[in-house]
Amino acid sequence: MDKEFQFSVVDPKDSAQEMDAVRALLAANQLELDLHNQVWVVCHVRGRLVACAGLDHNVIKCVAVSKEFRGESLSLRLGSEVIALAAQRGYFHLFLYSPPHNRELFQGWGFYPLVEVSELVVLMENSPIAIKRYYESLQIQKRPGDRIGCMVLNANPFTLGHRFLVETAASECDWLHVFVVKEDASAFSYADRFSLVADGVKDISRLALHEGSDYIISRATFPGYFLKEKETIDRSWAAIDLLLFREYIAPALGITHRYVGTEPLDPVTNNYNADMKYWLEKASSPANSICVVEVPRVSIKGMPISASRVRGFLAQGDLEAIRHLVPKTTLEFLERHYSGVGVAQA
Amino acid sequence: MKIIKQAVAGTLESSDLLVKVEPNDSGLDIVIQSEVVKQFGKQIRAAVAETLAKLDVDRGTVVIEDKGALDYAIRARVQAAVLRGAGSVDVNWGQLS
Repeated sequence: MDKEFQFSVVDPKDSAQEMDAVRALLAANQLELDLHNQVWVVCHVRGRLVACAGLDHNVIKCVAVSKEFRGESLSLRLGSEVIALAAQRGYFHLFLYSPPHNRELFQGWGFYPLVEVSELVVLMENSPIAIKRYYESLQIQKRPGDRIGCMVLNANPFTLGHRFLVETAASECDWLHVFVVKEDASAFSYADRFSLVADGVKDISRLALHEGSDYIISRATFPGYFLKEKETIDRSWAAIDLLLFREYIAPALGITHRYVGTEPLDPVTNNYNADMKYWLEKASSPANSICVVEVPRVSIKGMPISASRVRGFLAQGDLEAIRHLVPKTTLEFLERHYSGVGVAQA
Repeated sequence: MKIIKQAVAGTLESSDLLVKVEPNDSGLDIVIQSEVVKQFGKQIRAAVAETLAKLDVDRGTVVIEDKGALDYAIRARVQAAVLRGAGSVDVNWGQLS
C-alpha cells in the first residue's frame, strides 16, 4: 500500500495541468489555490493526485489530502516531505495556515497554534518554544509607564512623514517602541531601512528601536502586505498579524497604544489601518484592547509625504524633489547611493 | 561541536522522529514532544542528552518531534541534525559509538 504513494515536487509555473488537479483537490476541501506558493509537494496514487501542500518561502499553505486516503500515514509523509523541501530551500522556522478544524492534524506535524481568527484560519509554527522565547526577549525591554506606544514602520525609505509620526507618538507616550519591518521584500534592504530609521530618530528620547521579526508584519503573518503595489489582499490575513501583535507583542512590552499614519495614497495600508481598529480594539480576544491612534499625514504643498512618492521621484532620478520629503540623514544616504541612477519601484 | 546554523533531520513517520537544531548562545535548550512522553520521556531525553554530550554540543536549541522512535533512531537522527547544523564534514565516528 505504502509503495503506491508517489511524492514529487512541482513548480507551478511549468505544470499548468498539475495545478488544475491541485485546484480541484483543494476545492473538494473548501480551500482556494494560493498563487503565491512557489513550489508544491504533490502525491499521486496510480497517476491520480491524492494530496498536496504548497510552500511560499517559509509558509506552508493549501494542504489537502483526498478523503479516501485520510489516516495518519499519508498526512505525516506529506508533512515530512514539505518540511524537508523547505529545509532544502533554506527555511527551518516554518509557519502554516490552516482552517481551525485541522489544527490537531498539524500538531502531528510538529506545528503549534499561534493565533486563530475564529472559524476561519489558524496560524501555526513548527516550534513549541519560538514564540515564548521571542516574548521573553521583548519582555526584558519593557519600560514602566501608563501610556506605552508602539509603531511599526516599513520606512521604505524613512521620510519626514515617518519622522513626524514618531515625534508625535513619542511626545504623547511615557515610552515608545518602534519596530522596523524585517522582510526583505521592499525596494530598500532591511539593513538600509533600519539604519535610516535609527539615524532619523536618534535624537528622540524615551524611544526603543526594535528589529522586526517573523511575528510582526512579515511574509508569515501578513503575506498580502508585500504585494500591495500589485494586487488586493485577503483581509483575514491582516487579522492574523494584528492578533499576534495584540496577544504576544503588546503584552510583552506593556503596549497600550498603537500609532499609525493616515494613508490617503495607499489603499492597502489604509485598509490595514481600518482593520487595526477592529482587531486591536473591538474584536474579542483573550488579550487586552490596544488603543489605535491615527496621526494625520503631514503634507508639503498640499501633497501628503509618503515613501511611495519618494520612490517615484527616485525612479525618475529626481533627487531635488525628494529634498523636502525626507530628513537630512535619508537624503544623504540617497545622494550617496542613487545619485544619477533611478531605483526600481517595488 | 558548535551548532552554527539551523538544520533538520528525520521524518514524522511512525517509529521515527524529526530533530531540529539551531544556534543558541545562552545555553543548551532541549524540547521534546512525544506521543509516548508519559512512558518514555525520561529515556528519550537521556538518549538525546547523551548524544549531544558525545558530540560536545553544549549550546543550541534542539527540538524533537518524536513518533515513538527507538533509542538508536533517536541517536542517529540527533547526530545527523547536529552534523548538519555544525556544517561539519570532519566527523570522528569513533566518538559517536
